[in-house]
Amino acid sequence: MAIIERPTESPATEAPAPSASTSYGYLRRPVETKGWRSWAFTVDHKKIGIMYGAVALFFFIIGGLEAGLIRLQLAGPDGTILSADKYNQMFTMHATTMVFLFVMPMAAAFANYFIPLQIGARDVAFPRLNALSLWTFVFGGIFINTSWILGGGADGGWFMYAPNSSVPFSPSNGIDFWTLGLLITGIASLVGAINLIVTVLNMRAPGMTMMKMPIFTWMGFVTQMLLLFAMPVITVALFLLMFQRSFGATFFSVEAGADPLLWQHLFWIFGHPEVYIIVLPAFGIVSEVLPVFSKKPLFGYPFVVFSGAAIGFVGFGVWAHHMFASGLGPVSVAVFSVATMAIAVPTGVKIINWTLTMWGGKLKFTTAMLFAVGLIVEFTIGGLSGVTHAIAPSDTQQTDTYYIVAHFHYVIFGGGVVGLFSGMYYWWPKIFGKMLSETLGKWNFWLMMIGMNLTFGPMHIIGLQGQPRRMYVWTEYRAGEGFFNLGFWNLVATIGTFVLAIGVFFFLINIWVTHRPGSKTPPAPADPWDARSLEWITSSPPKEYNFARTPVVSDLDEFFHRKYEDVGEGDQHEYVQHMTGEEVIQNEEDNADLNIHLPAPSYWPMVLAFSLPVLAYGVIYSTLLILAGAAIATMAMFGWALEPADAPQSDYDPTDDGGETSKELANV
Amino acid sequence: MQAVTPTTTVKSVTSRVRIARLSAVAVLAAAVAGCAQDAPQDTWDPAGPNAQKIHSLDNVVYAIAGVVGVIVFAVLSVAFWKFRDRGQPIPEQSHGKPALEIVLTIIPAMILIGVAIPSVSTLMALNKTDDTECIINVTGQQWWWEVDYPVQEGCGGIDEPIVTSGQMVIEAGTKVLVRGTSRDVIHSWWIPRLNGKRDMVPGRVHTVRLEADEPGIYAGQCTEFCGLSHANMRMEVVAMEPDDFAAWKANQVEAYVAPEEGTLAAEGESTFVAQCSRCHQVDGLTDNDGELVIARPDQNVWSGAAPNLTNLMTRNTFAGASWDLLSNECRADVWEADSADVGAAYLEGVSESCLNEVELREWLRNAPAKKPMYTDPESLEETNGLPRGMPYLALSEDQIDQLIAYLLERK
Repeated sequence: MAIIERPTESPATEAPAPSASTSYGYLRRPVETKGWRSWAFTVDHKKIGIMYGAVALFFFIIGGLEAGLIRLQLAGPDGTILSADKYNQMFTMHATTMVFLFVMPMAAAFANYFIPLQIGARDVAFPRLNALSLWTFVFGGIFINTSWILGGGADGGWFMYAPNSSVPFSPSNGIDFWTLGLLITGIASLVGAINLIVTVLNMRAPGMTMMKMPIFTWMGFVTQMLLLFAMPVITVALFLLMFQRSFGATFFSVEAGADPLLWQHLFWIFGHPEVYIIVLPAFGIVSEVLPVFSKKPLFGYPFVVFSGAAIGFVGFGVWAHHMFASGLGPVSVAVFSVATMAIAVPTGVKIINWTLTMWGGKLKFTTAMLFAVGLIVEFTIGGLSGVTHAIAPSDTQQTDTYYIVAHFHYVIFGGGVVGLFSGMYYWWPKIFGKMLSETLGKWNFWLMMIGMNLTFGPMHIIGLQGQPRRMYVWTEYRAGEGFFNLGFWNLVATIGTFVLAIGVFFFLINIWVTHRPGSKTPPAPADPWDARSLEWITSSPPKEYNFARTPVVSDLDEFFHRKYEDVGEGDQHEYVQHMTGEEVIQNEEDNADLNIHLPAPSYWPMVLAFSLPVLAYGVIYSTLLILAGAAIATMAMFGWALEPADAPQSDYDPTDDGGETSKELANV
Repeated sequence: MQAVTPTTTVKSVTSRVRIARLSAVAVLAAAVAGCAQDAPQDTWDPAGPNAQKIHSLDNVVYAIAGVVGVIVFAVLSVAFWKFRDRGQPIPEQSHGKPALEIVLTIIPAMILIGVAIPSVSTLMALNKTDDTECIINVTGQQWWWEVDYPVQEGCGGIDEPIVTSGQMVIEAGTKVLVRGTSRDVIHSWWIPRLNGKRDMVPGRVHTVRLEADEPGIYAGQCTEFCGLSHANMRMEVVAMEPDDFAAWKANQVEAYVAPEEGTLAAEGESTFVAQCSRCHQVDGLTDNDGELVIARPDQNVWSGAAPNLTNLMTRNTFAGASWDLLSNECRADVWEADSADVGAAYLEGVSESCLNEVELREWLRNAPAKKPMYTDPESLEETNGLPRGMPYLALSEDQIDQLIAYLLERK
């Protein structure tokens, strides 16, 4: 079931006869189109995208609660809410949850849902692998978090520096759960990356050259490339750590001749591209949203594309700027310092292009647009503070203080998360067919913005006043007095966290108000924002097969050009709408393709994904569990390989009118 | 600002008004007071040439970043206001102007090149080591710093090694080279007002320069996450005039004086030998048979070291410089002394009347309760039963009295 099959009507190429493999009783394909089974066994990229998003949102709340506890502990001097041990677990798990279980999967949710739609495809290249990615992430995320009830979470910080991550310094199983869990979620990222790269390269609609690809797809593509090259590095590092902790290896044992800096290099060769893995999807989202609400194409599309690619390349050459204080020697430090300044250039190009997209436009400040603008503002602050610690000597004063915490939250929250929220409001009607409330959306936006600046803004001061990170208490003796005293600004940051949390709560309320049973929210119009790209040339929510007719593309901003015509002369431009969005969609549906064939759902991706945490528990607790996990994995792989391409007709329930079976109906 | 606590913010409208007033007063007060009262680890208040070099670079970079930020936000604000939807026609569907793009790419690149040059030259200047006048070793372990002065002609001459902990005493105006390593995990040596931080990594020796312009006490903190009690790993650099520094050195190598027979301190000496000397060295201490007592922390704690207590009361902090040996009243006399008097005040050490007895007692009664150190027996399996810091010793109150009397004479 590699790519979508679209059999012609010609009787010469009938669907293949049921093969012998169907005779194996357990080798059947699921047929349910309703209920939980239709979600659990689906290979539909849209359902998978929604589930990715829902699970990521759940982990966002978990990570947010962890952040709340951290800020409560630090609200005043000598906090007593958490013990030192619990605090160390809390900040480790907060970062791990937010990075690996919220931002990355949320970006994967958008990529899964919208990359096929934006390139005019009916699904991804490898639908069952897509399901495997989802379930691997879900089971990996749950596995890591079961550490809370099995002796405590990881306590070495998300950067997990050796040798502090070795057993004598962290005797609980927390770091084992972290290591194995991230190995599992790493499989999800890597499989997903390969899948989407192949999809983008092979499955674009006719006429869509690379330079006519929507910018979100471009940024998603660069992100997947980064994942493809970064995940193997962290996998190697985690593998070494697993052997260090579970099998007595000495990769990081100084007394056995190891150099602890090995881990730092491996971690940051992954860790720095990871920053761009987090922000590039958000950059892609706002690069879609800003043109739509400015009624102008993205300014300098090729510059934005190439700056994204440049960030991707240079992003692999700056990792040691996380190690300016590690003792690398002045020459290495100088090289990485200059390389880091260089990466500010393509990043600056993006800010400039977004600003120029709005310049001369016709701006409409919907919630989605507000979040997009919010990203520009907050990310600019994060980018500028980033330049201040590209200066290596300055960084030796700033690194490992709250100044860095401020910086990367402006980048990851202000750049990444704010961009994802923009995407939520922009694409919600596309995904669910209903508009989120704009009123609640604006509460959501302003409270989040005020909250984030109150939380992370003061951390610049706290850090420059010398408060290091990762301390479970701070003391009044080192707090100072006067305007910049640590006590006041720590309290402000804590208050800000709760404003931020209320802002996020408004988002949840908005979802509830829109979708609760009996909600009066009407169905969304087909083209609520007067959008510009391919994913809108179909119904909302899209049918299982995405497009009634495979779209043929002639322009960047294809949808806009189908709706509007330039009737001006010479340099005078005048745009007249000659078709509404609905009419464009209707036109496609009137000329629908016949006999669209979709990949069949499958049980095995979930089963194979389930074997991984079993194996991982086995590494921690018992060899027997390893054998059980290996047995499940083997069974799942054979099932995957041997299951028939499709379910036989007889598996489907007859329809009420006695005519076609549900299979045909599902595929119409 | 002390009034702005959570308890007051929830009260009533009037209290909110009061807080608003208080905040306004605080802002004004801060404006008047300037930065004199800033936190002791303020990175923008350099007290030596190394930190000053960094700060001078900072000033330029922050100014440029500020100007760029203001320009970006100004342009954005104009765009929001000028181009908001007022029913204007659909704008030209232009995909950009390459010439403008190229110019706008080159400008930030030029600015960054302009910043890179002084940045690299400062970096090289900060790594000079050929003008060192004094070498001091530091060794990090969970969760305190050992400071030792090897025999050398530098530092005004060290004839006999000096080993201390938590506080590094230097001569103001002397170019000190700190050589550091670690006995367990990675720690980071950071005295913000004197220089940036440097990680101290087991198996490696890293160096960092320190120089204080004026006598004073400069606070620092371990800044690389080093496990459970990372927050309780602090240090100070005490800079003094040459005469004071000479006096301090002489005092550190003075011969051991045993407590007078029959005093509480003498009982304390026996208690110390019985309870503490497995890990803590006191140079010159002898047992009942007249044998020198040699501490064996390498056999008794996981990191293999414990602070040398020979001259404990010449320092004014303990347990990883996390708690004061001086009571609140006496602390101010040293920490807030004028630059000219700091050395003398510091050299007085800790007297009985100035001792912060409450916290020292808490520490001796149950150290892990004061400073978390993984104590449950299960977590000690991985270290062959060795504690990671000072264990709970089940000392009686009498023993604690004796020990305090004994320790008070260690100066």
